Amino acid sequence: MQASRARLFKEYKEVQREKVADPDIQLVCDDSNIFKWTALIKGPSETPFEGGVFQLAFAVPEQYPLQPPQVRFLTKIFHPNVHFKTGEICLDILKNAWSPAWTLQSVCRAIIALMAHPEPDSPLNCDSGNLLRSGDLRGYYSMARMYTKLAAMPKKG
Amino acid sequence: MQNQDGVQVDGEVESATSVPIPEFDEWANFGDQDIMQQHSAIRAEEAEKIPFLGDKEPLSSLAAEYQSGSAILLEKIKVLGEQYAAIRRTRGDGNCFFRSFMFSYLEHILESQDQSEVDRIKANVEQCRKTLQSLGYADFTFEDFFALFLEQLDSVLQGNEASISHDELILRSRDQSVSDYVVMFFRFVTSGEIRKRAEFFEPFILGLTNATVEQFCKSSVEPMGEESDHVHITALSDALGVPIRVVYLDRSSCDTGGVSVNHHDFIPAGSDLPNASGGSEKVSPFITLLYRPGHYDILYPK
Repeated sequence: MQASRARLFKEYKEVQREKVADPDIQLVCDDSNIFKWTALIKGPSETPFEGGVFQLAFAVPEQYPLQPPQVRFLTKIFHPNVHFKTGEICLDILKNAWSPAWTLQSVCRAIIALMAHPEPDSPLNCDSGNLLRSGDLRGYYSMARMYTKLAAMPKKG
Repeated sequence: MQNQDGVQVDGEVESATSVPIPEFDEWANFGDQDIMQQHSAIRAEEAEKIPFLGDKEPLSSLAAEYQSGSAILLEKIKVLGEQYAAIRRTRGDGNCFFRSFMFSYLEHILESQDQSEVDRIKANVEQCRKTLQSLGYADFTFEDFFALFLEQLDSVLQGNEASISHDELILRSRDQSVSDYVVMFFRFVTSGEIRKRAEFFEPFILGLTNATVEQFCKSSVEPMGEESDHVHITALSDALGVPIRVVYLDRSSCDTGGVSVNHHDFIPAGSDLPNASGGSEKVSPFITLLYRPGHYDILYPK
């Protein structure tokens, strides 16, 4: 518990330093609980998520950093590796390939990379995975784009 | 027809309502998180059966395991008995090599009080720190693990406030908050060494998996619970400059019909052991591990 708190505090300071270097990621720690974080990440360019801002929720376990943080999308997203209802993310580093070499910041970077490079063969969202697996890139793009516009883009006016 | 089956159908309906059957929709909510929780629950259950580190047992306890098993193995254990007196088991959680190494090394320092060895390894640990920094690891990701190992190293040396007894060393090796951190320290050191000498390790890694050196380190070295292979052992031994003997206990037998037990000495490639490369004196490892396919334990010579 003490170790995880100390580590998270170091990450907090690192996040303040990185702010300028990584404008696509905005990591914020809960005011009263260092084990709860949220992040705003920008959808990567040249993907259907471009222009969208996606919110992630982090729940950090007491055994952190020996155990991975639990991360899920709060913003609705149509992506093969994100559960459409719960926002759960299928990413190896959040599961068995986790190591303390990762940080909350680098997890955000990995999630942005996953948005740009979906893995349709291990889908949490089968509809999305099937579109990609059947080669229907246009179908995938327009569905993902529609949800980006509906859920991840600031409303006009 | 309806009347005939009526009672039975009612019964079924009743049982169906009293014992709710998970709806299909609930499966959709049964995510990876739950699977991971179940996984760690199973691990915790297993953990209660075998501690991270067992007690020292006579070699006869090893033979007892195979009493009704392979004759070759029993024969080999007999041969082992000529040189080795005891075994100390470690939990088979994928960290057994690192955990065995940790205890074996710290126990050696505790018993030998070899200050020059401690100074030597500390210099190498500093080198490992620089390696990780030059590879781009942020200090705060690994420094806690380094600090905890150095703390253990200081505490097994007697004569200072933080000194600990042999019993305390065993307790700490069984305490997850110490033991896993030291295991993780070794994983960082191993990963750094492999990536620093990527060209040297690449062919060995290609022989094991299809991964690049970096992928291998990210997926098979740094995560806790990933089993160790000769690549890990070579890298750790080289990085820390600590020779390791691994004794192999498997069913293989030699052509001549006689039974012998093979071992392999991992001798550090580093320059701080002048005797290792073609010197007259042979470096003899003070750490001996017993390898059975898939698992490492600690062996004690006579």
